[in-house]
Amino acid sequence: MPGCALPGTPLADALPGINACVHCGFCLQACPTYLNLEDENDSPRGRIFLMRSLLEGTVGPNDPSVKEHIDQCLGCRACEPVCPSGVPYGQLLEATRATLREHQSISPIARLILFVFARPWLLRPAMFFSRILAATPIPTVLSGLKGRLGFAMAMLASTGRSIERARYDVRSRGERGKVATLRGCVMDGLFGATNRATNRVLEVNGYRVVDAPGQQCCGALHAHAGDLENARKLARRNIAAFERSGAEFIAVNAAGCGAIMKEYGHLLKDDPEWRDRALAIGSRVRDISELLAAAGPRVGGPLPMRVTYQAPCHLQHAQRVTQAPLTMLAAIPGLELVPLHDSDQCCGSAGIYNLIEPDTSDAVLEPKLANIRATHASWVATGNPGCLMQIGAGLIRADMGAKAIHPVDLLDASYAAYGQ
Amino acid sequence: MTQPSASTQRASVSARLADIVGERHVLSRPSELLVYNSDGLPGYRRQPSIAVFPGSREETIAVVRLLAEEELPFVPRGAGTGLSGGALADDIIVVGLHRLKKILSLDIDNRRATVEPGVVNLRLNRHVAPLGLLYAPDPSSEAACTIGGNIAENAGGPHCLKYGVTLNHVHAMTVVLPSGEVVELGSRTGERDGYDLRGAFIGSEGCFGVALDVTVRLTPKPQTVRTLLADFTSVDDAARVTSAIIASGIVPAALEFMDGPTIRVVEDSIYAAGYPRDAEAVLLIELDGIEAGVDADLEVVRRICLDGGARNVKVARDDIERAKLWQGRKKAFGAMGRLAPHLIVQDAVIPRTKLPEILQTIHAISEKHGVLVCNVFHAGDGNLHPNIAYSADNAEESKRVHKAMTEIMNACIDAGGSITGEHGVGLDKMGYMESIFPASSLNAMCELRSVFDPGRRSNPGKVVPVHSCKEWHGVKSARETSAATVPPPLAAEPSRPVAQ
Repeated sequence: MPGCALPGTPLADALPGINACVHCGFCLQACPTYLNLEDENDSPRGRIFLMRSLLEGTVGPNDPSVKEHIDQCLGCRACEPVCPSGVPYGQLLEATRATLREHQSISPIARLILFVFARPWLLRPAMFFSRILAATPIPTVLSGLKGRLGFAMAMLASTGRSIERARYDVRSRGERGKVATLRGCVMDGLFGATNRATNRVLEVNGYRVVDAPGQQCCGALHAHAGDLENARKLARRNIAAFERSGAEFIAVNAAGCGAIMKEYGHLLKDDPEWRDRALAIGSRVRDISELLAAAGPRVGGPLPMRVTYQAPCHLQHAQRVTQAPLTMLAAIPGLELVPLHDSDQCCGSAGIYNLIEPDTSDAVLEPKLANIRATHASWVATGNPGCLMQIGAGLIRADMGAKAIHPVDLLDASYAAYGQ
Repeated sequence: MTQPSASTQRASVSARLADIVGERHVLSRPSELLVYNSDGLPGYRRQPSIAVFPGSREETIAVVRLLAEEELPFVPRGAGTGLSGGALADDIIVVGLHRLKKILSLDIDNRRATVEPGVVNLRLNRHVAPLGLLYAPDPSSEAACTIGGNIAENAGGPHCLKYGVTLNHVHAMTVVLPSGEVVELGSRTGERDGYDLRGAFIGSEGCFGVALDVTVRLTPKPQTVRTLLADFTSVDDAARVTSAIIASGIVPAALEFMDGPTIRVVEDSIYAAGYPRDAEAVLLIELDGIEAGVDADLEVVRRICLDGGARNVKVARDDIERAKLWQGRKKAFGAMGRLAPHLIVQDAVIPRTKLPEILQTIHAISEKHGVLVCNVFHAGDGNLHPNIAYSADNAEESKRVHKAMTEIMNACIDAGGSITGEHGVGLDKMGYMESIFPASSLNAMCELRSVFDPGRRSNPGKVVPVHSCKEWHGVKSARETSAATVPPPLAAEPSRPVAQ
């Protein structure tokens, strides 16, 4: 491009990706914000046009409306699998946000969350406090409040509503290899039971689970918000930790975390010291469902329940993993899997989006809840903490009775029911 | 000091539009209007002054009436997937109809549906598919384009070879004319009396008004569908086979042509369909109808292909394979972004029998100018789509590309062809209008337009060059005198783009 208006920025680096867009518009109908907000500024094609305009200088990086439309993107990447030209939209979005951050500040809530997540000494007590709060009736009582506080409380309340199951013993021969699991921040803090179930189901299926001490937040939230520096810092720590573990596979039960870890190579592409290490670690990352599907998985005891499946965006669009979670659920006898209409559409969680863009998030969640209602399912299975809490909170606030659950918990409950 | 008054007027119009549709659905800040400055052909850019998105029929009528009252020109826009710059607004108002997306009624017994103009083509098809019905026109942009836009362009698509274009699948429309008057065109229930104004409106490229609802014809799904892929090592062979299939008397549901560069760009994309990468051309042929007849036709077509030099003829085994073959074809245009940042796509129609020689000519032109032409087109009805991927930032390359494209278009015109099969004239092809139509025909078009939009406020400056109307706005005698001095047209009348 002659005369780039923002030379040397992450956005300028991303120009080849922007150039791949021919403006065909095939992404429009895949985009949840376009469908809900009905303005092309809130579509992938429109946002790419804004990115190009930033580079051409026809709009400035201080322009508030550009930031508004870039901020309003969920980052669900549903546009990527429909793009004939293979525009790497997720990468373009992160580069744009990183570039705009130099000129316009991000919301105080987002800043606070990112600050805490990058610092284990703050994150641990914050999660501890959330866990204590979640164990009290307070979140449930406050979940009906209007606005974000009520929604945040409903999110917390939803984390305590998993499935009852008996304890069972596992002894793994480890013939399928050594696996280190990512503990994650929210998974570790609020879904500890799911993390423990993850280790158990891996062992039932012949994997040997090893620890990877020193691991931290994956950095996805930071990268999505354009805070690439902190995302890279966190990525380097995780790469070192998982290298030390000597594991063949890194199992991730949070789709958002798995997606960025698989892309660590891109995140650190300009870091000669870390680039190859990042690529190597990235190539060992698997969503938990991929490892289980590769192992069969072993069939458990019966769980006679009606379940529907919502595909997390970062699993199906970013990682392109679509069948493995269904294979997992199919290994549960008696479980009736009801298809969810538009299950490939985002639920509106999108990391911390539901806290900073509440109106759009609610608009995206609404049709999701209606589609869930139509399935008459009592459980909604989805493999990502953000989606679990978003859908969980929505179900509580709409007083629907159904609960959100990680597929791993269902498989674990099925193994617990085996032989009983 | 015209600036302040223009901006004051803009602010006051914006405010009044916001009163009708809500503030969120009116854009007037330049940075928010940027994305509305192009359609599917971003080589052309025109910045609108205001964009307004009505959310209901009533709001649409109110918006058009306000614009009539203020005597303001406007451009109706659907999903902005057009390929002729037709929905561009040069410092005037864009009326986006994409929020009108309700399917209003379904009449299954009579195979009709009434829809709002912003309904996406594929959504209508998905909606009626469980009933064993389909809406036949299937432009490659079906996943994004709207029924209203299809009407404006009289959209085609691969299956128009057998089923006809949009015109053949619309019974009636309610239209708000640029004056604000609401009229019914066509008949929802039966045959029409009098002149076919519905036919005049379809394909009017947004110059005659705005459709508020559209009653479309639904077609029963054929009992049997067979999809064949024939691959060739010679473009010439594939072109001759195309003519031979049509000459055999069989009417395929679709007969599509993709050349080597197109095959390879599709195979690199997420829509890789399993086309052989080393082929120089493939024909994607679909036959449908009653099982026994289709199978007999299939054997004939297979034989023609093999006798004509095809290396292989593969028949899709199931619906999944069939869908994959089609997705590759339909997303080919979008995949061209892999080659270069900009794309120029044309839409010429030629007599089918001239296909081999025109393809040779195109090849010679591309060699001469050093550009890569990707040919992907509706071979069955002779509707060519030469695409050239290039970088508009390179002025020298840009010049070569446009020169090559102009020569290609002129070659098609010389072969007795036309300049558009389905993309419309818009802005892009207006310059060719005078080379294919005599002045008297252009003037007749201007007069027809005046019936619907005497003020020429709806999508001004498109389709027919303004000066060709002005020239003929004299008294009748003057018109006749001038007609005698007009040079003979290159083609007496453009051939209809679609065989029916």
